[in-house]
Amino acid sequence: MAYDNNSQKIVDYIQNFARKHSLFVLAYGTGCGAIEIPPTMTSRYDAERFGIRGAATPRQADVLLITGYLATKTLKRVIRTYEQMQDPKYVIAFGSCTINGGMYWDSYNTINMLDKYIPVDVYINGCMPRPEAVISGFVKLQDEIQAGRADGWKKYQDNLEEYRANQKKIIKNWTMPDFNW
Amino acid sequence: MTDTLNKENKLLEVLKEEFKLLSGKVKRSRRVEVVIENEQIIPILLFAKERLNYIHFSHMSCVDWIEEGKFEVIYILWSPEEKINLLIKTKVAREGEDLPNIDFIWRQANTYEREIREMYGLPFDGLVGREEFILEDWDEIPPMRRDFITNEYVSETYFEREGREDAKDVREQILGRTDEKLPDFAKKYSRD
Amino acid sequence: MEDIGYKIFGAFLTTVLAFVVGMFYGGFRRKIIARIQNRVGPPVYQNFLDVMKLLSKKTAVHHGIMQQLAPLWLITMSIVTLMFIPVLKDGLFFTNLNFSGDIIFLLYMMVFGSLGMALGAGQTGNPNSAIGVTRGLIQMVGFEIPWIMALVALMVQYKTTSVTGLLDIQSQSGTWMMFSSPFAFIAALLAMPGMFRYSPFDIVGAPAELASGPVSEFGGKYLSLMMTSGSIFAFVKLTLIVDLFLGGASNLIELVIKTFILYMYPVLWGAISPRFRTEQAVKYFWGWPLFFGVIALAFATF
Repeated sequence: MAYDNNSQKIVDYIQNFARKHSLFVLAYGTGCGAIEIPPTMTSRYDAERFGIRGAATPRQADVLLITGYLATKTLKRVIRTYEQMQDPKYVIAFGSCTINGGMYWDSYNTINMLDKYIPVDVYINGCMPRPEAVISGFVKLQDEIQAGRADGWKKYQDNLEEYRANQKKIIKNWTMPDFNW
Repeated sequence: MTDTLNKENKLLEVLKEEFKLLSGKVKRSRRVEVVIENEQIIPILLFAKERLNYIHFSHMSCVDWIEEGKFEVIYILWSPEEKINLLIKTKVAREGEDLPNIDFIWRQANTYEREIREMYGLPFDGLVGREEFILEDWDEIPPMRRDFITNEYVSETYFEREGREDAKDVREQILGRTDEKLPDFAKKYSRD
Repeated sequence: MEDIGYKIFGAFLTTVLAFVVGMFYGGFRRKIIARIQNRVGPPVYQNFLDVMKLLSKKTAVHHGIMQQLAPLWLITMSIVTLMFIPVLKDGLFFTNLNFSGDIIFLLYMMVFGSLGMALGAGQTGNPNSAIGVTRGLIQMVGFEIPWIMALVALMVQYKTTSVTGLLDIQSQSGTWMMFSSPFAFIAALLAMPGMFRYSPFDIVGAPAELASGPVSEFGGKYLSLMMTSGSIFAFVKLTLIVDLFLGGASNLIELVIKTFILYMYPVLWGAISPRFRTEQAVKYFWGWPLFFGVIALAFATF
């Protein structure tokens, strides 16, 4: 019965419902987007009504918010943080810098496409996106989770070698421990 | 107009008496610029600090004049009493020469010197501090040198999103709205 | 035989009740704080969703056996303490084992979980955990002294260490202990926010400075167990104070009303206060609460 198709569907539905309405957010605030997080969380835009809540450490978090450009140096920390999070985990990438490099597209130390290094579930474009856009991004993520399409963490496990090759191309001196489940 | 630049001219005269300046001029009110040989850097900085009371070390930066084969290093000082920015410039060869370390005069100069050493590869004599400052695992030539071709490096190292390659120079178009012209010096750096 | 069946069923029912009520109280707390801050706030059942989500996490990294045991230790402590507290004055299901344990035993049990947590957090090796544990133990030294003084005053005054005995005395005399021994009540009340660890006494898990302190390496199912145990323990503390000072409760509605009113006191205080530093918290607890504790002891002895 437990592995019956229909009952699995019901379990999935309940799990996805819980996951979508309880998103613990770890905001990785290096770029300019970090300043958009406080208004999103506090009284004016109140993200908590969607069940979105700040998490203090990667172990407790579900969503990794990457707010803006990533230098190669910070990419190392992002990968480390992402690998410390518990599955299922989601990534929301903020702003044009994470999509195609934005205004730093020809800089010697900022990466251009984040989804080559870690899987991204939702992109929010803008430079910077306003809190409304951030909340709409979260709602989009909730829809994806409910539909079961937010499977970046699975993609990362399946294509780990490819991601790792891309990461090691940038981070030459690789001193981090290997990802294990 | 000239009487308002009294203190600036006076400062320039004092410096001219004391040192052999390559050039020196009052750029505008509250800004004096002098150019000096790089052997004279420590004496002039000490003189400015101890005698003229230019106690605040605002900034230190570097420009790569690749055509002359020189780096130009600029020390910017500020006097809270005179309220004058004193810019002291010196040139040093791109390869083989080094500048004296000045972090015994101002402790904070250490940070700027390490940054210049890392970003331009300009060595400072007697500078103490870790080799790696801002960049991590960098094994190319220093990135702020002008013979470092950023575009090539970026296209080799990073991925480019499709749709990005048709980035056009839109300055003409923007200026067209207000009937302005693109100045000649700006055309030199056009992407097209 | 029937008796044991009732007991087991009652224990199960009490645990479920404590879990549900504690969770809803947590939800109300979040909602009330949101309304105070002029926000809409999460739904009241948000904590259930959080626990469900944490249980449905696929992985949970741990650093060793002690870290795995710590949440279990916590939840065991919460449920055992719950078993020895009369949730209702009489009745078939909710009285549990209240004749077998007394207040001194409860005082030991309530510290037990925190110590287990300290060991578990120590194994994670996270520096934030270590600082959090240190702060937690210091804070415990702070609030335990007035709290124990209040309870000792009660025990001395009425010459019994049993919670049921104190309940009987209250129902016989017809006055609640908060009126018959007011100083003990004041001391316990002033020490109570320290037990709940809400702001201004949230120095243990301060998210902004300690990254949630001892909890920082616990994710997934461990965190869900800790949240569950936290809500059960909140209910336990509230019920204990209601039993000791507010005359207990003879039915569930009375219990919920009394505990909810009592719960609002640390919540509302927390909603409008910033965080104390560790030494400020200890200074607070060793100030007026201790003073009232001493007065209560004197009042009880003479």
